[in-house]
Amino acid sequence: MKASYNWLKEFVDFSLPPLEIAHALTMAGLEVEGVVEADGDTVFDINVTPNRPDCLSIIGIAREISAILKVPFRSGPAGALEQKGRGPEVTVRDTRLCRRYASRTITGVKPAPSPDWLVRRLESHGIRTSINVVDITNYVLLETGQPLHAFDLDKLAGTKIEVRTAGPSEKFRTLDNEDRILNPDMLMICDAERPVALAGIIGGMNSEVSLSTMNVLLESANFFPSSVRRTAKALGVSTESSYRFERGVDINNVTVALDRAASMIAEIAGGCVSGLTDVYPSPFTAGDIRISFNQINSLIGIEIPGPLAERILTDLGFGVKREGEGLVVNPPSFRQDIQAEVDIIEEIARLYGYGNIPASLPSIQLQPTCNEPGIIEAIRKSLVRSGFTEVINYSFFYPDSLDRLNIALNDRRRDMILISNPLRKEESAMRTTLIPALLSNVCLNFNRGEKNVRFFEISRVFLPSSEKLPEEVVQVAAVYNKGETASLWETTHDGFYDVKGALENLFIDLKIKDHSIEQSPEFTEPYLHPGKSCTVRISDEKIASLGAVHPSVLESFDIRGNVIILEIPDVAKLKKYISAKTSFSPLPKFPRVERDIALVVSKGVTIERVRRAILSVDSNIIESVVPFDIYIGKSIPDDKKSIAFSILFRSADRTLTDQEVDALQAVIIEKLKKELDAELRG
Amino acid sequence: MLNDLDSIKSLAGEEIEKADSLKAVQDLKVRYLGKKGIITGKIKSLAAIAKEDRREYGKSLNDVKIYIEELLGVREKACKAVELNKTLQIQRIDVTIPGYRIPAGHLHPTTQVLGEIIGIFTSLGFHVEEGPEVELDFYNFEALNMPKEHPARDMQDTFYISDDVVLRTHTSPVQVRVMQNNTPPLRVIAPGKVYRCDADVTHIPMFHQLEGFMVDKHITMSHLKGVLEVFIQRVFGADTKLRFRPSFFPFTEPSAEIDISCVICRGAGCNVCKNTGWLEILGAGMINPRVFEMAGYDPAQYTGFAFGMGIERVAMLKYGIDDIRLFYENDKRFLDQF
Ligand SMILES: [Zn+2]
Repeated sequence: MKASYNWLKEFVDFSLPPLEIAHALTMAGLEVEGVVEADGDTVFDINVTPNRPDCLSIIGIAREISAILKVPFRSGPAGALEQKGRGPEVTVRDTRLCRRYASRTITGVKPAPSPDWLVRRLESHGIRTSINVVDITNYVLLETGQPLHAFDLDKLAGTKIEVRTAGPSEKFRTLDNEDRILNPDMLMICDAERPVALAGIIGGMNSEVSLSTMNVLLESANFFPSSVRRTAKALGVSTESSYRFERGVDINNVTVALDRAASMIAEIAGGCVSGLTDVYPSPFTAGDIRISFNQINSLIGIEIPGPLAERILTDLGFGVKREGEGLVVNPPSFRQDIQAEVDIIEEIARLYGYGNIPASLPSIQLQPTCNEPGIIEAIRKSLVRSGFTEVINYSFFYPDSLDRLNIALNDRRRDMILISNPLRKEESAMRTTLIPALLSNVCLNFNRGEKNVRFFEISRVFLPSSEKLPEEVVQVAAVYNKGETASLWETTHDGFYDVKGALENLFIDLKIKDHSIEQSPEFTEPYLHPGKSCTVRISDEKIASLGAVHPSVLESFDIRGNVIILEIPDVAKLKKYISAKTSFSPLPKFPRVERDIALVVSKGVTIERVRRAILSVDSNIIESVVPFDIYIGKSIPDDKKSIAFSILFRSADRTLTDQEVDALQAVIIEKLKKELDAELRG
Repeated sequence: MLNDLDSIKSLAGEEIEKADSLKAVQDLKVRYLGKKGIITGKIKSLAAIAKEDRREYGKSLNDVKIYIEELLGVREKACKAVELNKTLQIQRIDVTIPGYRIPAGHLHPTTQVLGEIIGIFTSLGFHVEEGPEVELDFYNFEALNMPKEHPARDMQDTFYISDDVVLRTHTSPVQVRVMQNNTPPLRVIAPGKVYRCDADVTHIPMFHQLEGFMVDKHITMSHLKGVLEVFIQRVFGADTKLRFRPSFFPFTEPSAEIDISCVICRGAGCNVCKNTGWLEILGAGMINPRVFEMAGYDPAQYTGFAFGMGIERVAMLKYGIDDIRLFYENDKRFLDQF
């Protein structure tokens, strides 16, 4: 809402300069967001909150200034209105939606451009000017907050007004030259035959006032806020008028504004004003709100003297009576936002000044907090330590991203929550996987010349459920690009084992003891390289996927370089595998014996298979089996590889002898020969 | 004969003094004390000496031997130190080569700021609750005193899933959910993602908020001021000033907008604070009795305050970030700075 300093001065006596007025308004809740000086006047741009429609007018803001500065408010110029004859014929069919309808005709007007002062005032308040009759309705709207509408009386069939709801699919062309299709919820102003205005929103082309208009019907009415809002929303129109009616307009100001506009029209555009028609079946009555001083003080937390509270409310235009240790308050008709005790308390606190309320800390009863040990925090910490940087992406994505990931049509991730009013189609569904955004992050950073891009994200994905709200599942996903490392540490793998190491560290950090790795095509995610990926299970439950991104997916995301993905699709599943307590085992009393063995096995035999074969030998002195070398090449047949293990032997109750270790080693080798067709490498 | 020993003693002293390497010391050791050494030779020939002289001579000989041994010992230590020093000089490395690091990652700045804020409120006895991001219209609006046609809904551009399901526009719905399932006293913070259907230079469609609220008997607006003062001064420094101004939120009354003295210019006026010296940072107020009613609390019995803030806003002021769109573009050069 724009309000000029000089205009405000017409209604309230103050001498403070504009910037101080701006500060005073801001500190009382009418935030001045802009101050513009022009033509010897200053225009404030005020952010009027939805609860204060009374301040969508010069008079309303002037009243506030009067209360804040404790200076008198004077009502506007109110000369006696000359009137002749009866008012127009008005029938209100729906008195719930139209609570009051007042009207006068003005005959013999001379429409013309408005005088300069009027044009300047409207323009400085952001209102486009037209001809005097229309400009005056806008002027009075700004001044009083009451929307008005002028019809060309001669264009109204039967020169009468009927207020009713629209017929089904009735058509109507509004002043902005748009054809609107109406529905029976919408309240219309009609003449004897057809709609001539959308009540409280916008007039119709069929009754528009123009330079050739001679007689005018002036409307000042009060419409039900939510009905105006629904209609305006449904038709996608918002006007100065609808904006005010949606928020609530002072019902007792209807005829005041009408008369103000009628007299201005008669003065500026000439013409003869008729008598008043005022359909107002249930007049406003101010309700009593009772409030005790104790209520006020115990919410604000400070002793505000009774007389001061009384004075504040009186200054704001409230009716106030003292009753025992409290007040009986009658809010004025322009303050429909005041309905309960707390509304009164806010008014008192606001004008007392929030700055005058001291700060203090509450005394509290101790409560053990039940914050869960943060698994998400632990994952974040672990991954950061392993070299991953956290990213956060938008929760929406483009449904087509799933095609780019090769995800099957019957995959659950295809079942998406769609946004009915997305900003862009790229953000039209709630994401069901974190992977597309992470791959896009890699692409963006590669394109900007970054290397070693290692990112992770922990966020929710949204899966439809049988409930009204979707299932929100916390996922973790990481992308890893090995990039270039110094020659000293260069190894041939493309980062798979780095990420696997990060996962192993994560399990250690989370105190998750056991997990298994499985490489089987049926469980592999379709966006992973089938030969370089695996499924990670804990107690047979699928927990994570790990692998190199499928070359075709890299291509569709325009990524030139290797990327390894780690994905934990449901973090909550990890919780039950976290071992609650750490327990100590005594340090061994007897020395260990270490033996290395090198074997030649078929290429397809995995390290884990050999390790398990060794561990399954029936003995209680094998402490650990750790692989330390793999060799393929000279002196090894093409379809074979050599692997070397270091085996540690230890007994809990004696020092082992060479002979018993030798014997056990022989058993192990025999077993490997038999089960895995392994040969000892000489 | 004793003269003979004196001259051996003084010669050995001279020679050992001159020895300037471990090898030279070693050679002298052999020359004097070795199997065929001078002293060893004298000891062997002791038997040939007349019995009456033997005792005195033997004692002198032994003194000379001890003397030489000690001298050699001292010299050996000195030479060892010199040689070790030489070796250490050779082992000298270039200490200006950059350190070898396992490159640690970084937490997103939003996570870092959220963590700090949560830490402050946890220390004040608040605990963390979460709510769904896809939320019922009821919790997001209606239960917060914003019925369907309420104009206050215009304050928040909303993404709709259906007529009664929305992407939450703020973290305030957690208030109602927590109240429905718990009885006071309550001290809760609820951090999380929220969504608004606008995107321009200063807006992004998803951002983070932290909602906090406290419900008990006798909670006052003065307490709201006290708690927020502690919080703001911990985040932005003890000399940060707060300014409470009246505002409007349907779910609080009285409502306040909280400004802090500009952390960039310290109140002198700059671009960031548009020369006002103040920055808007928080919305807050006393929980509206209607919200208590919706949650099934007796408003005559309980009062409470609530506040909410945008985390990115706090992060921008803390780190001096000037473009909110940088947060979720995820450029490594941005993320690596935090
Ligand atoms: Zn500043």
